[in-house]
Amino acid sequence: MKLAFFPGCLIPVKYPFMEAAIRKTLPPLGIEIVDLPGFTCCPDPIYFKAADNLDWLTVAARNLCIAEEAGMEIFTICSGCTGTLSEAHYMLENEELRSKVNERLARIDKEYKGTAKVRHIVAILRDDIGMDKITASVKRPLKNVMVAIHYGCHLLKPSHIMRVDDPDDPHVMDYLVRAIGGETCRHKEWYLCCGKACESDQIKEDMTKCVLDSIKQMEADCMGMICPSCFSSFDLGQIILSRKYKDSALDQKMIPPVYYFQLLGLAQGLSPQEVGLDRHKIKPTSVLQKIGI
Amino acid sequence: MSNSDITVDFEKRRQLEKILGADHISYCYQCGACVGDCPSARFDPSFNPRTIVLKALMGDIDELTGENSIIWHCSNCYNCYERCPQDVRPVEVIIALKNISSKSGKSEEGILTIAKRIKDTGRSVPIMGSIEKMREGLGLPPLAVIDCTDLSIILNPENKDKQK
Repeated sequence: MKLAFFPGCLIPVKYPFMEAAIRKTLPPLGIEIVDLPGFTCCPDPIYFKAADNLDWLTVAARNLCIAEEAGMEIFTICSGCTGTLSEAHYMLENEELRSKVNERLARIDKEYKGTAKVRHIVAILRDDIGMDKITASVKRPLKNVMVAIHYGCHLLKPSHIMRVDDPDDPHVMDYLVRAIGGETCRHKEWYLCCGKACESDQIKEDMTKCVLDSIKQMEADCMGMICPSCFSSFDLGQIILSRKYKDSALDQKMIPPVYYFQLLGLAQGLSPQEVGLDRHKIKPTSVLQKIGI
Repeated sequence: MSNSDITVDFEKRRQLEKILGADHISYCYQCGACVGDCPSARFDPSFNPRTIVLKALMGDIDELTGENSIIWHCSNCYNCYERCPQDVRPVEVIIALKNISSKSGKSEEGILTIAKRIKDTGRSVPIMGSIEKMREGLGLPPLAVIDCTDLSIILNPENKDKQK
């Protein structure tokens, strides 16, 4: 299966280990990654959209055009990119709005016809690749590894646009973790936003702390991440919180956040360095111990 | 408040409704479903999406779009979009208010910086010196330079003749 890769900004520029994990774990599942030239930032659904909503939609439409012209489906690996491109595709079903955006795109000889297809890679793995094929690629099952999934917000909501899973009772990540031999747990605050996109430092801190305090009630070895923004809240963000709340539970036990495709890489036999786990602020020590590394 | 105290500034309300995303605002019947599931309201009760939409309906948007406005306390989680039985999309109304705020230079610090970075470099995140080394160590190709000519044309329509 050939798919156009939309890497986004945050992952290739700040967390390239996530990109490395994607590029190394998908080919064994039968996915051929195609790098189409010309993509820009999706653009980001928080800041760029806050500056000018129509500019945001226009830049997103240009990205959709590139895949549409190539006749390829886009796969995304960041929840923000997935949100922007899916929402833009949905909004541009409105013909009046589409012609308004196309007036601008005509200046660069492009036209968005409305036929692009965008899916987050986890939806493609579940719907097109299947769990059996993922399990078949595993050389080192994550036996007894307990993963607290953090779905984050933009992968799932608004659900009629994202069409990934039920936001009130999602399972896609649980299936993916179980397919590589791990176990998942749902903690009390599993649904809570990480706070990353909130401009109030206090609210942001309260949200991140609330999620972490809740996970600490469980016997989790790591957090299972799918969004790079959430990852930053729980990696560097957790270090900052632990310094502020010295000698509290936050300081005494760190919960390492790990991007799902790094876990998949470990299960497929890659080394921790090959998926960049040595680049994390909080190392997933007990995960590695349990799988004998 | 008696009925005679209520005034609606329809001109301001129409100005907001014209912005993409705020066009469903008049569907709101103030049920509060957006508040019940709002994480920002949970941690900061002074943030309330229902009253933000109510103020917007009254055209009372100067304070909401002014400096240090409460609208920036929205965490952009989209729970309100998911919950709203009327498809008001409160988060989109808040983003439309942010658009007004940004255009008058009253947005939070960083918004216009990131917007400009995307226009200038095609990326929302600045490239740090050490990143190429890290990418190389992970077996990844170097980051491509993004040609932003298209962006400058589609975002600034008057640039077309100059650049193409």
